[in-house]
Amino acid sequence: MDSALIPDGVRRCPLWKFLLGLSVAGAVLLWGVYAMLLCWVKGLNQTNMNDYYGFALWIWADLAVIALGGGAFFTGLLKYVIGKDELKNIINYAVLIGFICYSSALLILAIDVGQPLRSWFIFWHANVHSMLTEVAFCLSCYFAVLTIEYIPLVLENRQLDKVPFFHNLSHNMHSAMAVFAATGAFLSFFHQGSLGGVAGVLFGRPFAFREHILIWPYTFFLFTWSAAAYGPSFTLFITWLTEKITHKKLVKDNVVFLLAKISGWMILTYIAAKSVDTLYWMFQTAPAQGLQWHFFYQNNAFYGKWILFTEIILCGWLPALILVYRPLRERASWRVTAFVLGIIGVSLNRWVMVLQTMAVPVMPFDEWVLYIPSWQEVATTILPVAYGVILIMISYRYLPIFPQEKELNPITIPNGQEPELTTDPQDLAVKTMAVSNSVEEVAAT
Amino acid sequence: MKLSRRCFLSLSIGGTVGTALTPLPWKLTDDMSIWSQNWPWTPVPPDGAYTYINSTCTLCPGHCGIRVRKVDDRAVKIEGQEGTPLNQGGGLCPLGLSGLQLLYGPRRIQGPLKRDGERGKGQWKPISWQQAIDEVSRKLADIRSQGKPQSLACLTDSDTGTVPQLFKRFLNAYGSPNFFRMPSVEDAYESVLSLTQGVDGFAGLDLYNADFILSFGSALLDGYGAPPRVMQAISRLKEQNGTLVQVEHRLSNTAAKANVWLAAKPGTEADLALSMAYVIIAQQKYDTDFIGTHTEGFEAFVRMVQERFDPQKVAAYCGVEADVIVRTALAFATAQKPLAVYGKGKGQTAGSLREALAVHALNALVGNINRVGGVQAIPAYDYLQWPAVMTDETAAAGLQTQRLDRARSPEFPHAQAIVHRLFETVNASPGEVQALFVAEANPCYSLPGSANVQEAFDKIPYVVSFSSYMDETAMQADLILPNHVYLERYEDVPVRSGTTRPMIGLCQPVVAPQLNTRHVGDSVILIAKALKGAVAESFPWADYESCLQEALGDQWDAISDQGFWAAAESAPASLDNGFGTPSGKFTLMDETIGAVYQVGEPSAAGDASEYPLLLMPYDSIRLTSRYVGGTPFMLKTVADTVLKGQDGFVDLNPETAAHIGLGEGQAVRLSTPVGEARVRVHLDDGVMPGIVSIPRGLGHTAQGPFLAGKGVNVNRLIAPVEDPASGLDAALGIRAKLTKA
Amino acid sequence: MKQTQTHNQKPPQRYGMAIDLDKCTGCGACMVACSAENNVPFKEDETNKLLSITWMKVFRITNGREFPHAEVCYLPRPCQHCAGQHEGHSPCVSVCPATATDYSAQTGIVSQIYTRCFGCRYCMGACPYHARYFNWWDPVWPVGMEKSLSPNVSPRMRGVVEKCSFCFHRYQLARDKAYAEDKREVGEAEYQTACAQACPAGAIVFGDLNNPEHAVSRIAQPDRHDHYKSQNPRAFRLLERLGTNTKVYYLSDREWVRKAGDNYLADENPSASTPPKEHA
Ligand SMILES: Nc1nc2c(c(=O)[nH]1)N[C@H]1C(S)=C(S)[C@@H](COP(=O)(O)OP(=O)(O)OC[C@H]3O[C@@H](n4cnc5c(=O)[nH]c(N)nc54)[C@H](O)[C@@H]3O)O[C@H]1N2
Ligand SMILES: Nc1nc2c(c(=O)[nH]1)N[C@H]1C(S)=C(S)[C@@H](COP(=O)(O)OP(=O)(O)OC[C@H]3O[C@@H](n4cnc5c(=O)[nH]c(N)nc54)[C@H](O)[C@@H]3O)O[C@H]1N2
Ligand code: SF4
Ligand code: SF4
Ligand code: SF4
Ligand code: SF4
Ligand code: SF4
Ligand SMILES: [Mo]
Repeated sequence: MDSALIPDGVRRCPLWKFLLGLSVAGAVLLWGVYAMLLCWVKGLNQTNMNDYYGFALWIWADLAVIALGGGAFFTGLLKYVIGKDELKNIINYAVLIGFICYSSALLILAIDVGQPLRSWFIFWHANVHSMLTEVAFCLSCYFAVLTIEYIPLVLENRQLDKVPFFHNLSHNMHSAMAVFAATGAFLSFFHQGSLGGVAGVLFGRPFAFREHILIWPYTFFLFTWSAAAYGPSFTLFITWLTEKITHKKLVKDNVVFLLAKISGWMILTYIAAKSVDTLYWMFQTAPAQGLQWHFFYQNNAFYGKWILFTEIILCGWLPALILVYRPLRERASWRVTAFVLGIIGVSLNRWVMVLQTMAVPVMPFDEWVLYIPSWQEVATTILPVAYGVILIMISYRYLPIFPQEKELNPITIPNGQEPELTTDPQDLAVKTMAVSNSVEEVAAT
Repeated sequence: MKLSRRCFLSLSIGGTVGTALTPLPWKLTDDMSIWSQNWPWTPVPPDGAYTYINSTCTLCPGHCGIRVRKVDDRAVKIEGQEGTPLNQGGGLCPLGLSGLQLLYGPRRIQGPLKRDGERGKGQWKPISWQQAIDEVSRKLADIRSQGKPQSLACLTDSDTGTVPQLFKRFLNAYGSPNFFRMPSVEDAYESVLSLTQGVDGFAGLDLYNADFILSFGSALLDGYGAPPRVMQAISRLKEQNGTLVQVEHRLSNTAAKANVWLAAKPGTEADLALSMAYVIIAQQKYDTDFIGTHTEGFEAFVRMVQERFDPQKVAAYCGVEADVIVRTALAFATAQKPLAVYGKGKGQTAGSLREALAVHALNALVGNINRVGGVQAIPAYDYLQWPAVMTDETAAAGLQTQRLDRARSPEFPHAQAIVHRLFETVNASPGEVQALFVAEANPCYSLPGSANVQEAFDKIPYVVSFSSYMDETAMQADLILPNHVYLERYEDVPVRSGTTRPMIGLCQPVVAPQLNTRHVGDSVILIAKALKGAVAESFPWADYESCLQEALGDQWDAISDQGFWAAAESAPASLDNGFGTPSGKFTLMDETIGAVYQVGEPSAAGDASEYPLLLMPYDSIRLTSRYVGGTPFMLKTVADTVLKGQDGFVDLNPETAAHIGLGEGQAVRLSTPVGEARVRVHLDDGVMPGIVSIPRGLGHTAQGPFLAGKGVNVNRLIAPVEDPASGLDAALGIRAKLTKA
Repeated sequence: MKQTQTHNQKPPQRYGMAIDLDKCTGCGACMVACSAENNVPFKEDETNKLLSITWMKVFRITNGREFPHAEVCYLPRPCQHCAGQHEGHSPCVSVCPATATDYSAQTGIVSQIYTRCFGCRYCMGACPYHARYFNWWDPVWPVGMEKSLSPNVSPRMRGVVEKCSFCFHRYQLARDKAYAEDKREVGEAEYQTACAQACPAGAIVFGDLNNPEHAVSRIAQPDRHDHYKSQNPRAFRLLERLGTNTKVYYLSDREWVRKAGDNYLADENPSASTPPKEHA
């Protein structure tokens, strides 16, 4: 039915199957939209936030998706500025994932504020000293950049591309892409940083507060660094997931290995810096405010010391070492495990910087306060996931996202036969794919 | 079409600039911000002309001077009147500050109501004032024609001032001796003053000038007497490096602020006071001049104290060590202006006459009677010089009958009114009360043993409430003639608390009546007039206001101008002719007093083996347990360890809780010999082991959504315990047990 | 703010409070007076204290000992009107992205502009004193009760943050009056906050910390050369070590109470001064 829209030379699942999948994700999306409307119409009393938990699940989700979306700017930086040309084979997907993450972040923010209709006051009455102002400016600008990076991809759709105007537009935008990518990287550096700054400048909150370099607290640099480090891991993880679901090899291993290696070294350097930062905070920053570091990890099981161990050792050092060590990196099981650990680690970091910061009492006579999100908060947080799935499904089906797909999955082979594997037979992922090929019909999108 | 880079750039930039130049985005954003600031459901208080009106708060016996800010015809804020004798510091209590929530609040009664349906079901028929007055007077004429005028009883908050006196006068003219006022610590002080000093009056405690205050469980910082004036006095005491000693089983706010907290077991306070007397006498630290010249019965008193109140002996059971007793007694006796204070909590119960006498004896020992910084006996107000009541035959016969509570009878000569006895009588012999008037009182909620009170109400055929609010008692009425609230009416309020000089505050209308209510004084006058004959003739006034003006006579202009009248600051009554006893001396001990000391303290009801704990109510100034309930703003101040959602808490010592196996916040069943309730537990190191501490002022069943159903009314769990000496309710608490719910 | 453009060279005012915790009885009158003065909304259930708006909140603190050695102290907490390490760097003001809360150099008062606040709540996260409250609900006054609202303070709409303003509208009225009467300064008695005025114990003293005539400056004895740290040995400020440089001074004779005002390591002696760290 929609074959005219599907890129040349690739195979897609039947339309009914596609629509079925779409409707499942759509149902989740509608649930989230309903919750979102409740929050807008009835107000934020629909959440379980309170005056001690002014920042909660959403802000965590916001910081987390932005960190994970960091693959876009960092891959862009590597490709367009540093000149790692192989990465052109994954940059489209990185941009798409980034676009999803950033648009989700903006949507969440629009739900999170008490007066969404006044959100633009942040620009109009901007307080240049506020990290959130910096976030808002850079985030919106970078989102614009991502949109500009995503548009030419859309225009490459087989039918759109036939329109000369779109064709030319797309071409022109492509040629200007290096400029956008560089701008994007610059903007990202700042907004990722200022998101870190959001917590780090809170000198009234000893759990979050960090010493400064110039006007920027250490968290500023750590956030940028961690987004650059874990973002590519997330891009690779989503790519892997897409390959599993489509039962196709979409990106060549050399590309994956390269990005995984870079991600690994970034994580390693980041986690070293983070460890130093944590030790400095434990033994310098916190005691200067009269607090022992273990004070912050007491009183309740939820924010126990395990959370520190998990973030830094289990989900920091461990994935870093896996990805840096070539034999492990090149084994899909290890590599993907490292991706997952890394994703958990960076999300946990954003979690503690937002939620644990709020939980810890500062006045000695104040109390620990825990919070459990309401279903409306959960639904609106899942909403972007459903939205992301839908956007990926549509983009994958109709746009030439993976430049290597055609080459890796030639359709000259008659239906029902195994596609020829051009990749390293050592690759476990590929093996799995080969074995499960018979169920391709069922699972492929 | 070939799109050049230049064309592309100019298109995109042009498009952006073009859109920005149209009014569209600007108009939209502007509209959005205006709209989001002007949600029509967020009120915008209209501005207008600002005026201030001075008046007097009548919500508690403090009778503070207030200053109400108005904008046009709306009252927008109540503040204290600074620098007046009614309120030197200008501070107010949380209730007084939130009075506008009573004025404009949703629990007010809109107009006269007649019961329509079963009692207590809250079904009402609005009627006109004419109908309402006709209805009561017809009913009263009926009772009178049966020759039982004494079966009309009346219960009000106090018995001073024109409004209570109009009620009393009405009963006199009608022919009933059964006028009651709500119990309070004044009952005890009146008896004490009468017994020891032969004075008909009230006790002026000169807290402001004392330098050593020894309080026996009085909630000086939590609503005792005139709360703001008392608190101010304690602040002054601190500034002057004076000493506050609090004797109390619980770490109350007063105990917390005291220099010394003596955690005596409940019920041992009188013995503790007498053991201090022992020390003062033994160490010859008493005021020999006062004792020698102005007292009688000292030797007998000394004998009694020496026989029974050796500090060693008392220490063994009161929980305060002997050397602490000695030290405190000596510090008290050697202070310049020591003052011992009696009255439990806010002083809303009479308590033990024996303890009141013992505390007063301490004051006498240090010679601090009718002195600056001491206890001054203030004669009862006598400014109401009304013509004599006309009494017809029916009235005369009715007035001859015995009061239902036997107050002022030889049995209980000093008590003015024993309210719990009224309801006990009704429960025992229902016919005795045919009709009951209730004004500015909420006995169904505020009296200990309120379940019994409730039962008695069921047995009274005709109940008329004059309440402004739909409270628990109004819910039981057959007819409601709603009064104006204090911010809408005139009333004289003679001050009896927290002052050593006579003062009359004037409560005046700050705003016009908001609803179809009527001044209770006018209602009484109208009912009297409708009854015709001698009853009508006893009320010669056209309306309440002219009655009030006449009562205040020459003072009227000054009072209405200033908002209060205060007697000139004068020296306390002289010691030489200040005592109305036959001997002209202060009686430390005689036969009657000796008998009081002889009887023990009334003990808490209940069997200790079945009820191992002791339930003790406490007072908090953030709650009110009097006839007006708390306000929404006050509830903001109530901690979540006192009330959480609808659940009320009791405080337990962690040790007690551990013994029963209870933890913080746990739900339990609290049972006493008279009732039970579901409560939650709060652990508090300030509570004596073995005691269950519970706040007064929660657990309303009426009074609207801000109050009803929240927490537990302790009066449902306790019962009056009659002081054998005074007949008054002296219950401190009640035995209790906690079982896991 | 325009206030920074003043040509007036006299030292600016620095409004502040001294609260004597040994006098404070925990009565809550300040909380009620504040709510009544400032049109603070209320709900049927105010027992969830994490959702209950109380610009002034009285904390109850204990010495943690057993009966009968237990002690209790009440600590009223309005907004502390933090100045930060350099004037105006309050924890909350510095983070508000929309300049909806601001520091007045003229008065030292931290304002809150409801119609500008868009409810991001960053300021709430920044404030260690929990002095900021969010309007989770539309404020609703039972029918008739809106009559008690004061026109001096605008009722807030849902979705914005509010907090103690040191009764700024009273300052405005007093200032206008002072100008109208050709006076230069607002007198001490002319500008008093509702809570100070209502406190029956006289525990709250309010005035200009920079004006030696004002009682508050005599009590608080702020050292202008050391971030306004008090030189009164009875006095302390809440969380002074964080460098918030607050304008609310607390007084107590009791060591444990003074110690409860800040965090200390086991081996630290609170009476020894620890200078707050400089930070941006
Ligand atoms: N809580 C609260 N905060 C508010 C408001 C509110 O209603 N409530 N309103 C907001 C609004 S709308 C405004 S406009 C601002 C106003 O806030 P500001 O602009 O700060 O207003 P003022 O304090 O009146 O004026 C600033 C200074 O100008 C000085 N001044 C007076 N006359 C002159 C003159 O002729 N020349 C010079 N150079 N200086 C002069 C005065 O001494 C004063 O210190 O406040 C805002 N903040
Ligand atoms: N006495 C005095 N007069 C002044 C000034 C002063 O400082 N003192 N300042 C001058 C200055 S700078 C200004 S800007 C003007 C300001 O003058 P106005 O604009 O009159 O400002 P306000 O008196 O603050 O607020 C006006 C009314 O708006 C209501 N209101 C508050 N919030 C909202 C809302 O969200 N929606 C709606 N519809 N109404 C709301 C308030 O309750 C109040 O009744 O006054 C000027 N005149
Ligand atoms: S203490 Fe009593 S009289 Fe004074 S303001 Fe409070 S309720 Fe009114
Ligand atoms: S106390 Fe909180 S709200 Fe007030 S100025 Fe300081 S940080 Fe801001
Ligand atoms: S909630 Fe309002 S005042 Fe607070 S930071 Fe956000 S915009 Fe500023
Ligand atoms: S200063 Fe004013 S706004 Fe602040 S707590 Fe006191 S009364 Fe409330
Ligand atoms: S009004 Fe005064 S005494 Fe009462 S709680 Fe507030 S500061 Fe303390
Ligand atoms: Mo303005």
